[in-house]
Formats: sequence, C-alpha cells, structure tokens
Amino acid sequence: MTPDPLNRLVAQLAKLPGIGEKTAQRLAFHILRAPGEYAVELSQAIREVKEKVHLCARCYSLTDSELCGFCRDARREEKVLCVVETFADLMALERTREYRGRYHVLHGVLSPLEGVGPEQLRIKELLERLNDGKVEEIILATNPDVEGEATALYLTRLLKPLGLRVSRIAQGLPMGGDLEYADQATLAKALSARREL
Amino acid sequence: MRLLALHVQDFRNLPQVSLAPSPHATIAVGQNGQGKTNLLEALYFLATLKPLRAGRLTELVRWGTQGARVVGRFLLKGAEREIAVEVSGGVRQAFVDGKKASSLEEYFGGVSVVAFTPDDLEVVKGGPDARRTFLDRAVFNRYPAFLKESRDYARALKNRNRLLREGPAAEPAYLDAYDETLAKAGARVYVRRRALMAELAPRAQATFASIGRTPEPAAYGYHPSHLGQDFAEADEAGLVDALLEALAARRKRDLERGFSSVGPHVDDVTVTLGGRSARAYASQGQQRALVLGWKIAEIENLHAAMGFLPLLLLDDVSSELDPERNAYLMSYLASSGAQVFLTTTDATLVRGAAAADTLWVDVHAGQVVPRPADAPA
Ligand SMILES: Nc1ncnc2c1ncn2[C@@H]1O[C@H](COP(=O)(O)OP(=O)(O)OP(=O)(O)O)[C@@H](O)[C@H]1O
Ligand SMILES: [Mg+2]
Ligand SMILES: [Zn+2]
Repeated sequence: MTPDPLNRLVAQLAKLPGIGEKTAQRLAFHILRAPGEYAVELSQAIREVKEKVHLCARCYSLTDSELCGFCRDARREEKVLCVVETFADLMALERTREYRGRYHVLHGVLSPLEGVGPEQLRIKELLERLNDGKVEEIILATNPDVEGEATALYLTRLLKPLGLRVSRIAQGLPMGGDLEYADQATLAKALSARREL
Repeated sequence: MRLLALHVQDFRNLPQVSLAPSPHATIAVGQNGQGKTNLLEALYFLATLKPLRAGRLTELVRWGTQGARVVGRFLLKGAEREIAVEVSGGVRQAFVDGKKASSLEEYFGGVSVVAFTPDDLEVVKGGPDARRTFLDRAVFNRYPAFLKESRDYARALKNRNRLLREGPAAEPAYLDAYDETLAKAGARVYVRRRALMAELAPRAQATFASIGRTPEPAAYGYHPSHLGQDFAEADEAGLVDALLEALAARRKRDLERGFSSVGPHVDDVTVTLGGRSARAYASQGQQRALVLGWKIAEIENLHAAMGFLPLLLLDDVSSELDPERNAYLMSYLASSGAQVFLTTTDATLVRGAAAADTLWVDVHAGQVVPRPADAPA
C-alpha cells in the first residue's frame, strides 16, 4: 500500500501531457528523494505561474505585469505586427532573433469543426488595437495547415480594407533542412512555387 | 522493389505467418473463410497503412489479442529496408528499420502496391463514390503527396460543411475564407486527378482494345461537372478561380442544405464504350474487361513513371472472370515480371500465372503453410 499523498502526486503528474503512469511514479519518487528545498521550490513555482502569469492587455502573449516585454520594449518597431496562433509560435519566431516588430496572439485558429469561430479568438482585440493607426504592416504567421490557411484568409479580408499592408509568411522547404527529409507534399508545393533566378 | 520476407502477427484470423515470397508469383490456396484475403490485406496494410476492407483499424486485430503487427523486409533501390506497422488500441504506428517513422512520406518512399479485388470488378456498375475511391487510390500510388493533399481537402470540406450548417447566421467573410481554402485544396486535387488520367486513360483504352473482344473503343474520362471544356487547359490558379465561382454561385443553396454541392468530392469518372455510358449499357463481361484494362494500365503506368513495378495483389479475381479474360490476365502476370500475390479457392484457375519459382501456400484456419518446392499443386 503506497501512502495516499504519494498516490495523489502520481495521479496529478500523470495528467500532464506525454506523461504516463510509470513516468509519473518515477517523477514522484524523484521529488520525494530530492534534497533540500526542491519540493517547496517546485510547488511555489507552480503556484506562482498560475497566480502571476496572465495575458498581456495589448498583444495577449504572456506576462507577469500589465503589458508584456514585447509591448513595452521601445526598441521594437511599432509599425509591424506579427499575428500568431499561440504563444509557443511567438517563442519560435523570437528564437530567430530576426523579427523586431510587435506581436498579436490569437489563441487558436478558426475551425468550425472544433467550434472555434472569430469570437473565440482575439480578433476583435486585434482590430481595436489597430485603431491608433500606428501599425502599417501585418504579417500573418498562422500555420500552413487547413485551419491556419483559412484563418489567414479571413484576417486578410478584414485587414486589407483598412489600408494595411498584409503579408503571409512563405511556405515550403525548411532552410538548412535536407531536401531528402522534406515530406512529399511540402516538396511538391516548393517545386510548384519555384522561382526563376 | 521486392518483398523478401513477410511476418504477420495477430492480424485478423492469422496468429502468426512467416513467408519468404517468390520474386514472381506467390499463390495462396484455400477454402472459403480460411484467411486468404486476410493475408493480402496484411500486405496491403503494410504498403498503404490503409485497410483493404475494414472500416475501423480495430477490426484488423485478431480477436482476443492486444495488437496486430505486419513486418516486411523489402529490397528498395538496392538496399534492404524493413518496414513495419502495428495496430493496437485503435492506433497505428509505422516503423522504418525499427525506428518510428516520423512521417508517412518517409514511410512510403519507394513501396507501392496495386490491389485488385472482386469488388473492383463492380466499379463500373457502382456509384460515383466507388469510382472516386478507385481513382484516388491510383492517384495516391502515382503521387504520394496526394495522401496529405486529399486529407487537407477533406478537412477543408468538413469545416465548410459545418459552417454551412450554421445557416444564415454564418458570417459571410468567414464563409469566404473557407470557400477560398476549399478552392485551393480542391484545385490541387483536380490537378492530380487530371495528371493521372492524362497518363492512364490512353493506356487503359489500348489495353481494353486488346482484351475487350468488342469493336467499340473504350474511353475513360474525368470531367468535373462545373468546369466544362476549360478543365483540360486551365492552370491551377484558374482552377481555384473556377471552383470559387462555382462555390459562390451555389452558396445560397448550399446554406439551405448544409453541405457543399460542388467540388472534387462530387465528381465522377466516366467510362464509355463506343461513346455510350458503360454503367448503363456495357455487358457484365465488358464491364470487367474495362476494369481489367484500367488495372493493367495502372501497373504499366507506375512502371513507366517509377522505373519499377509495384507489388500486385489479386484477391480471388480469376473466379470472377470468364476463361478467356482470365487466361489473358494470367499470361500478362507471368510475362510482366512483377512480384505478384494471388489468392484462389481453385488452383487450376491461376496456374497460367505460375512458373517453376512460384511459391504455393496453403491457407487453412489462419495457418499459412508453404508447400515444399518439389510438390507443386
Ligand atoms: N479480427 C479478426 N480476428 C479473428 N478472425 C477474424 C478477424 N477478422 C476476420 N476474421 C475471420 O477471418 C475469416 C475470413 O478470412 P478471409 O476473409 O481471409 O477468408 P478467405 O480465405 O479470403 O475466404 P473467401 O475464399 O471466402 O474469400 C473469417 O472467418 C472471419 O471471421
Ligand atoms: Mg477472400
Ligand atoms: Zn504584449
């Protein structure tokens, strides 16, 4: 008979994505045996992330203050806005260190099948923040799948009439990725979108 | 491409099978209900990751067991590769050389299979759904990217249909966005199907001429109903525009009915004999010759395009063909050089495809037992 507190911890850990019962058990034992303050610090970190992290009031990325670091950073271009599906996508773009504009996080894509329509996404908020006239160009960086495509097309229809420059991130072969490893649909698309040199 | 070894475990009624197939013909003989089709389905599943007959993946797992597994050792472009597929808990997982395949495309690189079943023989007579499936299987064989492209289309279609069901409440700009998504995915499907038909139709017509015993010529065609004469020449962007227009023209009606009434999902393949619909007028034997002509054309076309022959799976087809057409098919198989798997209840029907190196196997109650080389049928 394992003690109830241990069972409870295993049950909670096993709810995490990608974690099965066995791994949850291993993690629980690790936490139990870990020296010093580890368990306290872990539980505090978990509590704080829930208490202190919320959505940025302007771009809807994550922050622990009113506005996020991207919105506050004065060195960032105010004229360009990149629209992404999720905060994870935002972080992926940040890792390139290429983009110096601002962001807007939709928190999803338009998917009638999943019951997600324009009202469920931060689209109204996007339109509102454009009212101040500072943004001139919008980059649509939704994923190149069916729903991401539809979302980009929908936003284009809303944004173009406002006189904004709207662009879509290019699709095709990942740079540095071997042709050999690209999937066939991507390769086929890249081939048909070839350009003359 | 050649299958060197096949291992099957707990797939349908087959507990365990290990075979070293012949480089040419492997013939499975057995009474009804013994597991012959199951053996072919295992191979088909290995090569396409799609069941040949089942609606659900769980149907493939032998009753009372946890999971099914099919492993094939192939000779592909000079190298030996092991590909494997497992089904358990309703989920399938593919492996290449023991490692989980990261994409379907990686998995499919090089393996291709053409199956021919008695159901196929009914395809001329059947409804448009059956002919579309028949066509799309051929397209997928020829263009592996079509697997993802056709799934994208299906997903866009489902999304649009769901949106249509919201009725007049659906926001027009939202519908527009999905119309365009659907039109783009649909144009891709058109382009693929058109390219395949351009290659296949002349071959199928020629093959039919040599087996049909009918003076009238056969014609196989694919003409999306709303596109008229422009279909043959239009480029992909033109096809997007045409489909967009058709969707817009029907939006009111589609909103009333709650589904999309135009697009690749409602098209049909036309098969005619002497200019008349084969579905309406061709005799039973002529219909079967029309399908046979198509299948052989598909094999030859793949050969021409890829430089190697696909694996051929023929399930009990001989019993459904008249003796003359059956003899034609058997001698075609014997001379094609393809690696073939045949099933039959009556070995005499397929003897024409057999040679000295044929592997005969007996299938009885899920046991697959090779006959010794010196004891042929
Ligand atoms: N998941 C399963 N587990 C166990 N047995 C199964 C499963 N699915 C099908 N079967 C059995 O397999 C048998 C049929 O095998 P199969 O269709 O291969 O027959 P066959 O040899 O092709 O016969 P025929 O000559 O009539 O076409 C049936 O008895 C069926 O009940
Ligand atoms: Mg059968
Ligand atoms: Zn922000």
